[in-house]
Amino acid sequence: MLIGAGLDLTGAVANWGVNIKAGMESVFNRVNEAGGVHGRKIKLIAYDHVYQPPKAVTNAKRLVERDKVFVMMGHLGTPTTKAIKEYLEEKQVPDIFPSTAASMWVTSGKWHVGDLATYADQTWMIIDYLVRDRKIKKIASFYQDDEYGLDGHLAGKARLKQLDLAYAIEVDYKRADIDFSSQAAKLKESGAEAVILQAVYREPPRLAEQCHAIGYYPLFIGPSPIVVDKTIELGGKHVDGMMGVEVYPLPTEPGAFLDLYRADMKKYFPNLALDTTNLYGYQKAALFVEALQRTGRNLTREAVLKAIESIKDWDPGWGLKYSYGGDNRRVMSRVGRLVVVKDGKWTKKSEWIELQEGGRK
Amino acid sequence: MAEILASQVLSGLATGCVYALIALGFVLIFKATDVVNFAQGEFVMVSGFISYTLLIWYGLPYWIVFFVTIALSGFMGVVLERVVVRPIMDAPIFSIVIATIGASTVLRSLAGIFYGYDVLPLPTIFSKDPIRLGILNFTAMDLGVIGFSLVIMLALYLFFKLTKTGTAMRATAQSQTAARLMGVSVTYIFSLTWAISAAIGGVAGVLIAPIIYLDPNLGFIGVKAFAGAILGGFGSIPGAIVGGMLLGVLENLSGYFFNAGIKQVSTYILLIAVLVVRPSGLFGAVPIRKV
Repeated sequence: MLIGAGLDLTGAVANWGVNIKAGMESVFNRVNEAGGVHGRKIKLIAYDHVYQPPKAVTNAKRLVERDKVFVMMGHLGTPTTKAIKEYLEEKQVPDIFPSTAASMWVTSGKWHVGDLATYADQTWMIIDYLVRDRKIKKIASFYQDDEYGLDGHLAGKARLKQLDLAYAIEVDYKRADIDFSSQAAKLKESGAEAVILQAVYREPPRLAEQCHAIGYYPLFIGPSPIVVDKTIELGGKHVDGMMGVEVYPLPTEPGAFLDLYRADMKKYFPNLALDTTNLYGYQKAALFVEALQRTGRNLTREAVLKAIESIKDWDPGWGLKYSYGGDNRRVMSRVGRLVVVKDGKWTKKSEWIELQEGGRK
Repeated sequence: MAEILASQVLSGLATGCVYALIALGFVLIFKATDVVNFAQGEFVMVSGFISYTLLIWYGLPYWIVFFVTIALSGFMGVVLERVVVRPIMDAPIFSIVIATIGASTVLRSLAGIFYGYDVLPLPTIFSKDPIRLGILNFTAMDLGVIGFSLVIMLALYLFFKLTKTGTAMRATAQSQTAARLMGVSVTYIFSLTWAISAAIGGVAGVLIAPIIYLDPNLGFIGVKAFAGAILGGFGSIPGAIVGGMLLGVLENLSGYFFNAGIKQVSTYILLIAVLVVRPSGLFGAVPIRKV
C-alpha cells in the first residue's frame, strides 16, 4: 500500500518535515517487519515541497497520478496543504491527518480529517489563560501572513472580542522572513504585556532576541508549532520563560506508547534526537495503522475513512484518547495543556483540558 | 518615536553592512572580469558552515576559526574561478552567468547533503544583550557587524589605492589588453579578484550566520545584496557599499511604517524608482555613447 506525503525537507520548516517523515516511517517499518496490516506492507513516498504551495501542487499530482498513492497522509504545512485541497477532493484522495492543525481541515467535508486540536482551539486556550489566569489585558498578535498564522490570529481576535477586549497590536511577517526588528519595535511601542506567536520554530527565538535588544521583555506564548527543541537550541536564554500549547505528550514522558516510540526511533533513526516533531509524525502513523486494522481486508478509500470515523476512546497507551469528533468536527483529539521553557527544556505547566470551541465562524 | 526610529536605523545599518560586503564581492568580480557571479551568496553560506564545523566539531578558538574561515573561503573563490569560470571564459557571457548559478545550486545541495537542511545556531563572540546609550538601543552584535564591515571596506580601499597589486587590479579592470601589455599577469589578477571577493563573502558569512541562523539556504541573502549593488550602480565600489546599507535601513523602516508585505517589496520598489530616474544607479558611471 502506497502512502503519499508532501513535506518540507529542505526549506524553512525542514526540521518539521524531516522529523515527521522519520516518525511515520518508524511506525510503518515496525508494522511491516511484523507482516504488515492484514498482510499489506505500507510504503511512504514523500516529496519535498520546500514549504512552497506551487511545489506542493506539482508533488501532489505526481503522487496521485504517477505513483498512484492510496491516500495522502501527514501533508505538511497549512498554505501548502490548502493549495492541494481541491485537487485531492476532485481526485477523491483522502487527506488524512495533515501536518497542520488549521481549523480548515476539520470542517472541509469527507475527504479531510485532522488529528489534533486546531490552532484556533489552542489560541482560544491561550487567550483564556492570559486574560483569566494572568489578568493580562494588553495582548499582541505576531502572526505569519498566510492560512497558518491567520487561523490562530483570527480565532484569538474573536475570543478577545467576546471578552470585550482587542489585540493591543497586530504585526505580521512573511514565511521565511529572517529579520523582525521592525516588528519588535512596533510590539514594544504598543506596550503589550504578552505576545502571541502564530509562528513556527525559527521566528520565536529571533523575535525574542530582537525584542530583548531594544529592552522589551513581554511574555511570549504560542500554539504547538513553536513547541520544539529547535526553538530552544536557536534562542538559548532568550526563550527562557516562553510558553506554548502542547496537544500531545512530550517525548520524555512515561507511558507504554511512548516507550514503543522511543524504542522504534532508536532502532530505525538512531541519529535523530527524540523530539516533539518526530513524535507528531509517529502518533499520526500509529492512529492510521489503527484505522487500517479496523478497515479489514476490503481496502477502499471510503472504507478507511469510515474506519477512522469509527474510532472512539482509543488510547494507544499514553493516557490520551482519540475519538472522532463528528461530521462537523472531523478531528480525533481536542486536548491541550500549557508548557513553558524552564532550564532549557519544555516543561509541563498545566494538566490536559478539553479545548473549547475555537475556529473561524 | 525618535528612540524607536534610531534603533531601527542602527539595526538596519548592521544588516545593510552585510549586504554591502556581499555586494562588494559582486562588483569586484564584475569590474575585473566582466562576469556576474551569482554564486556570491554561497560564499556566505559555505563560510558559515566552515566556521560551524571548526567551532562545534573541532572546538577551535573563535579568532582562529574567524581567520581560517576567511582564508578557506578565499581559496574556494580561486577554485571556483579555475574550475568553473576560466574554462568557459570565451563562451557568451550568458553561459558564464548560468554556470555560476549552477555552481551555486551545487554548493547549496552539497551543504544540505553534508549538514542537513535544519537551521543551526552559530556561536559568536559578540553578545546579543541590549546596550543603551542615550536614545540608542543596540547590541554588541550590531556594533561588531558594523565595525568589522567598515574595517574591511577601509582595508580594501587602501589596498587598491596604495599597493602595486591593487593598482594592477584597477588597471586590469580598465583595460585587460593594456594591463597585459604593461606586464600584468591578467590570469593572476583574475584569481586574486575571486579570492578577495570570496573572502569578503566569508567575512559576511561569519558575521551574519549567528544572527539569522545557519542553513543551506543562507546564500539567498545574495539576491538582496545584488539588488543593493544595482541600486548603488553596478560596477561602482562606493555604490555597492552605499546601496547595500541603504537597502538594510530602508527594509527596517518600511517594515516599521507599513507591514511585512511592503517590507518584502520595498527593496524592489526603491530599486525600480532609482533606475527610472538614474538608469546607471546612484553611483554608476553614465555610459557615453558615441554616435
